Amino acid sequence: MFNSIADVTSGLLGQQYIASDEIATVVYLAEKMGKPILAEGPAGVGKTELSKAWAGATGRELIRLQCYEGLDESKALYEWEYAKQMLYTQLLRDKLSQIVGEAQTLGQAADRLAGEENVFFSMRFLLPRPLLRAIMSDKPVVLLIDEIDRADAEFEAFLLEILSDFQVSVPELGTLKARTQPMVVLTSNNTRELSEALKRRALYLFIDYPSLESELNIVRMRVPDLSPSVAKQCVEIVQRLRGLDLKKSPSVAETVDWAKALVAINARHLDDKTLNDTLTVILKHESDIQRARRVLSAGKARDVGVR
Amino acid sequence: MDERVVEFVSALRSNGVRVSLAESVDSLKAVEVIGVLDRDRFKNALKATLIKEPADVPVFEQIFPLYFGSGGPEMQQPQGLTKEQQEMLERALDELRQQIQELMRMLAQGQRLSDEQLREAARKSGVTRQMRGMNQQVREWLTERMLRQLGLTPEQLRDALESLMKQLKMQGMDREGRQEVSETIQQNADAMREQVSRFVGQNMLNQPSDNPRRRRIDELMNRPLSSLSDAEAEELRNHVRRLVAQLRARAALRMRRANQGNLDAKSTIRHNQRYGGVPIEIKLRRHHLKPKLTVIVDVSTSMRPVAEFLLQMVYEMQDQVSKARSFAFIDDIHDISQPFNEHRPEDAVPLVLHSIPPGHYNTDLGNSLVTFSREFLDTVDRRTTLIFVGDGRNNYNDPRADLVQMLKMRARRVVWMNPEPPYMWGQGDSDMLAYAPLCDAVHQVATLQQLADAIDDLFQHRV
Ligand SMILES: Nc1ncnc2c1ncn2[C@@H]1O[C@H](COP(=O)(O)OP(=O)(O)OP(=O)(O)O)[C@@H](O)[C@H]1O
Ligand SMILES: [Mg+2]
Repeated sequence: MFNSIADVTSGLLGQQYIASDEIATVVYLAEKMGKPILAEGPAGVGKTELSKAWAGATGRELIRLQCYEGLDESKALYEWEYAKQMLYTQLLRDKLSQIVGEAQTLGQAADRLAGEENVFFSMRFLLPRPLLRAIMSDKPVVLLIDEIDRADAEFEAFLLEILSDFQVSVPELGTLKARTQPMVVLTSNNTRELSEALKRRALYLFIDYPSLESELNIVRMRVPDLSPSVAKQCVEIVQRLRGLDLKKSPSVAETVDWAKALVAINARHLDDKTLNDTLTVILKHESDIQRARRVLSAGKARDVGVR
Repeated sequence: MDERVVEFVSALRSNGVRVSLAESVDSLKAVEVIGVLDRDRFKNALKATLIKEPADVPVFEQIFPLYFGSGGPEMQQPQGLTKEQQEMLERALDELRQQIQELMRMLAQGQRLSDEQLREAARKSGVTRQMRGMNQQVREWLTERMLRQLGLTPEQLRDALESLMKQLKMQGMDREGRQEVSETIQQNADAMREQVSRFVGQNMLNQPSDNPRRRRIDELMNRPLSSLSDAEAEELRNHVRRLVAQLRARAALRMRRANQGNLDAKSTIRHNQRYGGVPIEIKLRRHHLKPKLTVIVDVSTSMRPVAEFLLQMVYEMQDQVSKARSFAFIDDIHDISQPFNEHRPEDAVPLVLHSIPPGHYNTDLGNSLVTFSREFLDTVDRRTTLIFVGDGRNNYNDPRADLVQMLKMRARRVVWMNPEPPYMWGQGDSDMLAYAPLCDAVHQVATLQQLADAIDDLFQHRV
């Protein structure tokens, strides 16, 4: 795996992910200490991407559990494959009636049938969902539990149990112990406060918007066809917009989208018209767009005045 | 280093950062993994294991340099002096006045102040345990005094250095040699000043009683809500989310424990009809664990602070509730469920309070209950926990305890939350003594802590 923090940085870079030294340090710690990472920060700063890059860099499978309101254990952990069980019941009908057939009484028949039931409630008919897949995998995986703040508190409590015991109990089968321990990334957009217990267990990583330099590197790497000077202008504008108190600040994802859009329209430089035409790629609210136009053109006028 | 980290953790704690034992152990393990050579990484390792809230970062940033500061420039010895020049320096130092001799010797030889010396100087300059709080000005002022005590203020140092230079010249040291000695001493003096400043900072931090943020919140949590200033109420409002997160986690954990499901035979048979009765799909009994709440809140002037916090907390807990309905009253009842369905609790609460201004009319729960029984009786059934929030003071109107009795028959539980202590019940226009015996539980909720306890208790009694 990783032998040093520099290893982490270059491994992630190999997956087109630019990690700050802080991010690389925390990933390294997570590997060495076997602890989950809780990553918080604004939308689109690369929380999800980090897990993908981590999995990619270590050759592990990435298993993702997207959280939402109402997500429950059965969807996260396992389901019984009813259709398959059904099919087997049909196919084995003769065999079953044979077993039951020799019975003298109804009670006896039921007992015999019960004797066979673990055929139907075995791993064979268990459909593992992300969490079970992650801990039952033969090789360790990266488990991304995305947007945990959207799940209900019960689910968080349940998750906490799994993350501390690395085992689950399936009533029909008993306790299933983890074969391997996954590397876990939990992300949160901080729409609600998470429990202290969960935070205590995890390494905490706050990912903020990247510095101008990092963001420029991201754009250059992800959109190599954009001319360097336009890329620089783009990033400068985005960084400036983040300083305004907008309804929704542009994320890194949006900077990248913008850069791609500029390549698509073959923009050589970012003149007023191009800017006006493409601003909707990075800003989603009409009021934000108006505001940005005012600020950016005022900035221009000042620049001109100085010259 | 371990010891230093442990001290650092306790400084974080005494400045309001919650660090559990497990986390402090983690921080030591992390340091073992990362090492101490790269200061930034060392810092990030501590941060990832100890700081779990963005709000705590500033405290971390402030304290870290005090414990693991760069220490200013390292102390050095003068470079490139010949043996002869070394001897001249020794003799020159011997000639200095007693008071400055020791200091100049340390500076010339690159020796740091010992803990002993620091404590001694601190004592003499009045850096005592009584100095509370992380006030930057106080810190600077005390540092200044300690520096003076040690002879390290710029003026003192300039004078001392002048005397030494004079002596060196008399000993016959050349210009370059003197220059070297002087520069080294000045650099070392900077490092020593840094050492003093950090010592003062640590001392002011380490006050066990110096626990500004958390102490303050704890104190506010236990103060009557009606006595809070606007600013204090605002501080508490900011704390509510965190408080609710704790309550919610407790409720959810409790629910998990209670809900490890048993086989539900009836439902299993019903669900497996389509498989020809073969019990393929096992159904576990899931109790209706989440309580259904109907809240009736007095929003008259005296009750407003309590009403505000209660409503916010109940609705922040909404995911732990199967259904919540709420009503506000002063002289008559208003259904306020709607705003809470449409807005976040912190926005809904002011909306509601604003739409029912206090003052023009008198509290009349009796009358409100009449309207409630006529129009909203369907919000109370055998799964409902009915919560009254009020002081039970009806301005001598008919309390209509009979209606509470009737509601009690319909509801699963009736809970009353009253900010007044029991000895006030029944005095003046209080009808609390008539209501209290009809309730399954009565909680005193004058403070946010009491309110939190009362809400926590609601979730103990599952259906
Ligand atoms: N450090 C980075 N290096 C390279 N690309 C990055 C980096 N950070 C963000 N990106 C880009 O931004 C995109 C969005 O990131 P991602 O979806 O991971 O954000 P997120 O924080 O998970 O957002 P959300 O909170 O909306 O889920 C990525 O697909 C990638 O193109
Ligand atoms: Mg994401």
